[in-house]
Amino acid sequence: MNSTAVRANRRRLMLLAVLALLCAAGYLLVNTDPGNARLFAYSMKIRAPKLAAMALTAVSIGGASIVFQTIINNTIVTPCLLGMNTLYTLIHTAVVFFLGSSSIVASNANLAFGVDVILMGITATLLYGWIFRKTKHNVLYVLLVGTVLASFFGSVQTTLTRVMDPNEYDALLSSLVASFSNINSEILLFSALLLAGVAFALRRELALLDVLTLGKEQAINLGVDYDRCIRRLLLGVTLCIAVATAMVGPISFLGLIIANLSRQLLRTYRHSQLVAGSALFGMAVLVGGQLIVEQVYSYAVPVSVFITVGGGVYFLYLLVARKKV
Amino acid sequence: MKIRQLTKRYQGKTVVDGVSFSIPKGKVTSLIGPNGAGKSTVMSMISRLIAQDEGLVDLDGTDVGRWKSRELARRLAILTQSNHIQMKLTVRELVAFGRFPHSGSRLTETDEAFVDRAIAYMELEEFQDRFLDELSGGQRQRALIAMVIAQDTEYILLDEPTNNLDIYHATNLMKTVRRLCDELGKTVILVLHEINYAAFYSDYICAFKDGRIARFGSVEEVITSENLSAIYGVEFQIQTVKGKPLSIYY
Repeated sequence: MNSTAVRANRRRLMLLAVLALLCAAGYLLVNTDPGNARLFAYSMKIRAPKLAAMALTAVSIGGASIVFQTIINNTIVTPCLLGMNTLYTLIHTAVVFFLGSSSIVASNANLAFGVDVILMGITATLLYGWIFRKTKHNVLYVLLVGTVLASFFGSVQTTLTRVMDPNEYDALLSSLVASFSNINSEILLFSALLLAGVAFALRRELALLDVLTLGKEQAINLGVDYDRCIRRLLLGVTLCIAVATAMVGPISFLGLIIANLSRQLLRTYRHSQLVAGSALFGMAVLVGGQLIVEQVYSYAVPVSVFITVGGGVYFLYLLVARKKV
Repeated sequence: MKIRQLTKRYQGKTVVDGVSFSIPKGKVTSLIGPNGAGKSTVMSMISRLIAQDEGLVDLDGTDVGRWKSRELARRLAILTQSNHIQMKLTVRELVAFGRFPHSGSRLTETDEAFVDRAIAYMELEEFQDRFLDELSGGQRQRALIAMVIAQDTEYILLDEPTNNLDIYHATNLMKTVRRLCDELGKTVILVLHEINYAAFYSDYICAFKDGRIARFGSVEEVITSENLSAIYGVEFQIQTVKGKPLSIYY
């Protein structure tokens, strides 16, 4: 086939991987003193879990965004723009609200996460699957409904926290406002296992992504069991978003930025490359951004602010530059 | 392929109503009829793109809806009217997708040979490395048909394939359809608006009106001025050109 383009893309991905590794090395090593073993070990203890969490986030958001865009056959929509991460926040709040912060489910981080993930998987798959069917995959409607849902979930969640017992709220807050400076590292292992499990369970569907880009009818013509395939992929996407939101909190525009940067750089339909590119861009943006935030701005501005501002501008650029959605 | 009592309703309105006919193997069959007569819906049900409400599409003893999708994709290929491909794809990459039901994403040398042949069949050699979004509508249509040819199925279903094509390419397409049938022994089923293309290049014609079959038979049996006037509601004159009934309508 077009092997020169494939090789050129492989070179680009290599460069991107080097960039991501440099960011990671920089994040781990800048302003540490390897001569002082105890101090060095202490910095590693703080920085290594954060780095791992950011890597997991990059992979889950990067992969989920590309897959989601292919499902809906449009490159301007991402799961977070449709409110998937606010849905997760709402579910997490509701679990604490109804079961109480002292219940075994809410007090054990991994158990709470497990319950959240199950609820999230069921609700989001049913809800978004239904929206897709109802709107017949019309992107403008999906985007509109999704935006409304995002603020709806947000409002319900705020209402729950308002009527909550203040002590409960206090307990909730520590796990709710996960951010890059306050990473929920207790669930790192669980999340990594969950992501690996999702990737393994969906290996057949992931191989069908290239064919899905041709649209529903062509995919069926080429022998894809379309409805089942979309349902399973959508479930995978929601689980990825749950992992990322639980670990580092909601970051709306990250997926949009990295998925589209990957598509622009690689200009291919091959999803193995697109997902890899998206994840590596995610690493570079998150880790590089956090490095700057910690070392240059000394935590004054959280990295999510940069991502939201940059992502918003980039989103507008995509809308205007492409003219048609 | 046998079609039995096929019925489809949309919101209480019956668009296809108890359609039964058998598609002769190794022949070209055209479905004709006015807009909204149900030909495209029948085509979509034959190819399992939409599910029927009642009835059966029997392919080798099993309803197409109950076939394993991948296996059916090696027996039957469909090209519909709506194709919006968003990705950056070259013509050759698109045609290569036709081999997916056979080999997945890894193409063997045999697959490459099928792709080459399909591209040659549709005279796309000079475009094969161009991106689809750089092509005209007609060229894109030919690339899609090449993909269907590369799929190398026994049954080939084309829903209004001559749309977007000028007279040269439309005529060539119909000749290709004939060659697919005569040289490679394919069973081709077409939805056509051009009655004369249907009359000149098909073996059998199935004429639809109001969701039912108005006439089904060989070209000579169906293409008569009485039949066509009854189906389309305009006057027809039939002249014989090269042994085929040519219809003139005004």
